[in-house]
Amino acid sequence: MGNYFSDIYRAITTIAVGMGQTWKAMFRPATTLQYPTVRWQLPTNARGILFNNVDDCIGCNKCVRICPVQCIYMDTTKAHADEDLGKASTGNPIRQHVVRFDIDMFKCCYCDFCTTVCPTECLYMTDEYENGVFSRDNGLYHFSKYSPQEALALLKRDAEEAQVKAKAKEAALAAKNKGSKVPA
Amino acid sequence: MFGNLFKKKRFVFEDEGMMVLNMDQAAGRYHEEAMKKLEIESYQGDEMVVNMGPQHPSTHGVLRLELVIDGEIVKKTTPHLGYLHRNFEKHAENTTYNEVIPYCDRLDYLASMNQDLGYALAVEKLMGLSELPEKVEYMRVLTCELNRIASHLVAVGTFGLDIGAFTPFLWAFRDREKILDLLEWLSGARMLYNYIWVGGLARDIPDGWLAKTREFVDYFEPKMVEFNKVLTTNHIFIERTADIGVLPPEMAVSYGCTGPVLRGSGVKWDLRKNEPFSYYDKLDFDIPVGKGEFGPLGSVLDRYLVRIAEINESVKIIRQALDAIEPFVEQDVQAAIPKKIRPAAGSEAYVRSETPRGELGFLVRSDGSDVPFRVKGRSPCFHNISVVDDISRGGMIADLVLIIGSLDIVLGCVDR
Repeated sequence: MGNYFSDIYRAITTIAVGMGQTWKAMFRPATTLQYPTVRWQLPTNARGILFNNVDDCIGCNKCVRICPVQCIYMDTTKAHADEDLGKASTGNPIRQHVVRFDIDMFKCCYCDFCTTVCPTECLYMTDEYENGVFSRDNGLYHFSKYSPQEALALLKRDAEEAQVKAKAKEAALAAKNKGSKVPA
Repeated sequence: MFGNLFKKKRFVFEDEGMMVLNMDQAAGRYHEEAMKKLEIESYQGDEMVVNMGPQHPSTHGVLRLELVIDGEIVKKTTPHLGYLHRNFEKHAENTTYNEVIPYCDRLDYLASMNQDLGYALAVEKLMGLSELPEKVEYMRVLTCELNRIASHLVAVGTFGLDIGAFTPFLWAFRDREKILDLLEWLSGARMLYNYIWVGGLARDIPDGWLAKTREFVDYFEPKMVEFNKVLTTNHIFIERTADIGVLPPEMAVSYGCTGPVLRGSGVKWDLRKNEPFSYYDKLDFDIPVGKGEFGPLGSVLDRYLVRIAEINESVKIIRQALDAIEPFVEQDVQAAIPKKIRPAAGSEAYVRSETPRGELGFLVRSDGSDVPFRVKGRSPCFHNISVVDDISRGGMIADLVLIIGSLDIVLGCVDR
């Protein structure tokens, strides 16, 4: 019986202590934010949606290779000797047309590996984090500065050049084989 | 599969002894088989098979428990796993050594830093990297302990929530937010950090981060006192939790339990002390163990109290690490990162480390290429959840909710 009453007494006193704490908490400023109107200030190095400053991109393919989830798609074509694509802001010469640079932000795991390997630091993560979209296509971000027609033309040119090169190689090989056969 | 939906109607024939027939024969047969499978020796009364989860809020994730219950009394619990299986080990065999780290983050997503450290230590052992800059080691300790506090805050907060204490849960999450802000400032991400790399760290410390951490620790200690006043010392809370879910130390050891679950049963085993990794041997801290002050040793309350005490120990470690890192802040955190990670063919390393949930082991085997041949993760949660049947038998369903909360499982870690 004594135990019963002591239990009740201890329960009431400990609850009173706890309620005292919550009473104090009532007069503290709120720790929550009214989100859509008031926004959190993210740190400058926050990892949000990827962005590629394609003017600086040299098409080195490093980000594509290191991505653990393969969410970056890149196509490049070699520039001709008479085409001057200039230099990236870090001084690296640009020798390739980046005809396609797409990032699927639905696949991205925000690991930040691609930005650490980027030699010209043109690929970086913005502090934008609200990437909810209405269609799946909108999650694919296109960064190339070439229009689809231009990209197609460049790719076609590249394929043709490769064909010409392959033919020349074949011819050279045939000539070599022919030449080797003559003395025998 | 659906048998548990039908409550059995029984007809007892006296000449055949206890023979059970069912209105729905198929359901009845399932039920009988389920009973046989679950090794119920004799069934009397009104036993039922009921599924708890995988969408149950108190299972803390996608855990399905198949319960055999008699009214409110739990007769048998069978955890069913695999709902969050993401094939970590096979993924790891197809990516380079560094690229496994983002996958490690996602094992135990409440304590990603500790998972990263476990994997990084394993690969460093494989590479023979032992001497790292002091700044790297102290930062690893710092971030891991911050993450341990954040993880334990979730554990104790949701534990309170499971028995209806809502205020401590919000207070725990308020302080956890502060830790996540600190780690976000440091690594850029709030939960999946990818910060601890093999041989170093992903980024240098931002200016003012150490001072802000010290500020946080000063802010946090009084908050923990408040938290204890609201929940830990509450007499009703103590009476509710002190004598349920009793896990004797012998059973804890034989099941391979680690972390606060083992220490709650009074076994003093912590890899930070017993097998020190990183710089834990240079720091002074205690290992809290359960004492059974309010009831039998190894109860739900003991595990909770161990976590509360561990939070305070982590604060102590953070203070020491903050002091110790001062002379080394000029060091380069990426100085010791190997250019190429290609361990010798056939070499193998197993490293275990202490995460907030217990002993995390990584076995890494190399075949000489830059892709691991095999990565095996030993998850502490998987071993901890295996005791749930033994310690929940004979208790109430409401106690089972508390038991799961006190085991503090993360399903990402259980299923991998």
